Amino acid sequence: MSKNLYFEDVDIGDEIGPITRSVSDDDVIQFVSIREKKVAPSRFTSKEFANSEGLPEAIVPGPMNIALMSQVLTDWSETVCLLKIDVVFRQTVPHNKELTFSGIVTDKDETGESTKIECDVVMENSDGVKLVIGTGIIALPNKP
Amino acid sequence: MTTDEGIVYDRSLLGVETDIGTFELTREMLLGFAKSTGETNPRYVGDENGEGDIVAPSTICNVFVSGVSRPDIKLEFGEISFFAGQSIECKAEIRPGDVLSASTKLDNVYAKTGRSGKMVFAVWETHFKNQDDTTVALVTESFVRRNKSR
Repeated sequence: MSKNLYFEDVDIGDEIGPITRSVSDDDVIQFVSIREKKVAPSRFTSKEFANSEGLPEAIVPGPMNIALMSQVLTDWSETVCLLKIDVVFRQTVPHNKELTFSGIVTDKDETGESTKIECDVVMENSDGVKLVIGTGIIALPNKP
Repeated sequence: MTTDEGIVYDRSLLGVETDIGTFELTREMLLGFAKSTGETNPRYVGDENGEGDIVAPSTICNVFVSGVSRPDIKLEFGEISFFAGQSIECKAEIRPGDVLSASTKLDNVYAKTGRSGKMVFAVWETHFKNQDDTTVALVTESFVRRNKSR
């Protein structure tokens, strides 16, 4: 993670990440248990339950995916302030498989009225298939 | 093309705010969220001993909208429901000890027809405020209903 990234350091087309990781069964259970004291079987925590809904395996909850997607932006630098993230779930996200998160800067407020930067973000599987896509708006401080 | 023509659901729910509860954010909860998502940023996880001042990743509000009991819109379409997309606007910092109150409303219902057939989307907006009545996050979620693949 870059410690001090400033608005002036960033240009359209700059790449963000990538970050590679997988989400374990335990990660999902821990995530779900933040809200549910007793984790009930669901499409997120049980392969059998997922199968009964026509899914081949248990999947990562959507809210967890958006948290993971936002990290590619907030991990870019300690100075990043996330203002908005908007994601579209293209495919279900499996547990225990390698996932790659990356981003690219698509726009920068050049009016001088803000230090907002727009980015595209994507989560891909190991075959390069886009599972979740999105856009983010962040703010960076001006260079002192 | 998107349209809500011909979709049968309870249109009286459109735009009606419903309280979905209050949520006290403990430090343990914030650290659990960070751990489950592999977060390492000291801003969210503290120092190497998990000590020090932390804030919550703004996406933590997702935890509270996930699985929340909403009014039944009585949508007469589809056999299976999926989470289609979500946006979060982060308005203010969320800290341990904050008590968030949330209200949600049905914002839109529309249909799209793609390669896999017709899908109907329901869009909900959920507004989170802290104990000082400051808006901390606005979450927009889109759910899709479709028929099972045959």
